[in-house]
Amino acid sequence: MTAAVAAAIQDGTLPGRLWLYANYHCNLTCAYCLTESGPKVARRELGRERTLALAQEAAELGFTALGLTGGEPFLLPYLPELLAELAGILPIVCLSNGTMFTRDRLDRLRPLAELPAAIQISLDRPEPNDNDLMRGPENFRKVVDAIPKLVGLGVRVRIATTVASISDGERERLCDLHRRLGVADADHVIRPIIHRGRAVDNRLGVQVTPADLPAELTITADGAFWSPFGPTVHGGRLDTDLLVTRTTTPLRVPAAALLRLVRDQPPGADTQLNIR
Amino acid sequence: MSGVQLLPAAQAPLLARPYYARGDPGAIVAALAHVPEVLEVAMPFIGTVLGPSSLEARTKEIVILRTSARLGCRFCVQTHTVAARDAGLSPDEVRALRDEAPLAPTFVDPGELALLNWVDAVALGPGPVPAAAREALRSLLGDPALVELTLLVGATVMLNRFCTALELPTAPGVVARLAAEGLA
Repeated sequence: MTAAVAAAIQDGTLPGRLWLYANYHCNLTCAYCLTESGPKVARRELGRERTLALAQEAAELGFTALGLTGGEPFLLPYLPELLAELAGILPIVCLSNGTMFTRDRLDRLRPLAELPAAIQISLDRPEPNDNDLMRGPENFRKVVDAIPKLVGLGVRVRIATTVASISDGERERLCDLHRRLGVADADHVIRPIIHRGRAVDNRLGVQVTPADLPAELTITADGAFWSPFGPTVHGGRLDTDLLVTRTTTPLRVPAAALLRLVRDQPPGADTQLNIR
Repeated sequence: MSGVQLLPAAQAPLLARPYYARGDPGAIVAALAHVPEVLEVAMPFIGTVLGPSSLEARTKEIVILRTSARLGCRFCVQTHTVAARDAGLSPDEVRALRDEAPLAPTFVDPGELALLNWVDAVALGPGPVPAAAREALRSLLGDPALVELTLLVGATVMLNRFCTALELPTAPGVVARLAAEGLA
């Protein structure tokens, strides 16, 4: 089955990126957060050693890239060094809200400039008030302060814009902004809000099925899921509709189960919503 | 009230969804769905061991109901009272298997009495099953049946403890049927 997973990744049947939920807690409480993350939620950390072991096994299984998300991963004190270690195993993108980049943390991120690593920061609107409405006070200011500093270090920065809708004018102003911050168009992604997690309570986002979500294997402290949009939380309870297995180690167990599920998909059941 | 959340169809994990395709899958599946990789191997095993096979349905339901009664599993006794009735057992036979009446006047077939004696020894343990009880059954049914029946008792004990420990609720349809037949 190990060889079958590698072959499936190589021929495109399975996506090559393995996602890891580093934690579930966050310093923000965004209105559309999939995981109802916030300062007071259970941390549910994957842990440094387990994360490294999973990355190593992912490489051995044939995965080609890693994604690290949360929660806010940079709340974990060991994150900068862990990112460098992970990038030494496979190319990685780490998702962040962009509010945690103190001088000390930036300094510890310097090694990433020489490694296949990117930090993907959320920035939803070109104007502070509109952006902070969804993401919290001072978010815009902190993000536009942090991005040029990261870019200045030589760290690759991507920007993720998550919106229910965006006007042409807003999009143009947002793209002008990220270019001024040093982020190229190729590193800017606009994606829809998904109607899961806190977005359900705030009546935001689009409904999705597995067919809408790339089958990117996603590991959390609670199990393995179909996509990084899978291990959502609503009403304080983990959603299990996109759960693949509770077993996460060895990684070949959920990888093989995911491959079986993907192969059972009817023809044409591929991604429809450009959800990345 | 269950001792564990029974996953509804909307929360059924991907590997568990086929078990929900025809509606409510029952409490055992809805509980096992929390661990889908276990569910998808447990259910074929349970279905093979407890379901139709080379052994007569009557024999299997005698074993399951007797074991469940001796283990004190409310869920399994209620559920398999209905299954036993469907397999042709009489209400009096069901009551005897459930320890609500003596076995002897109701069960007269020497083979079934040997079976019941052996079931009690296997289910209750601990320690070895008396050789006399085993050989009595073996001489009547042969090795293949003895092996299958031993696994049937073992699987039933596993389910008895699973359903009892998690306080799984009996299906409303089963409860209604038991009431209608005076076997509640």
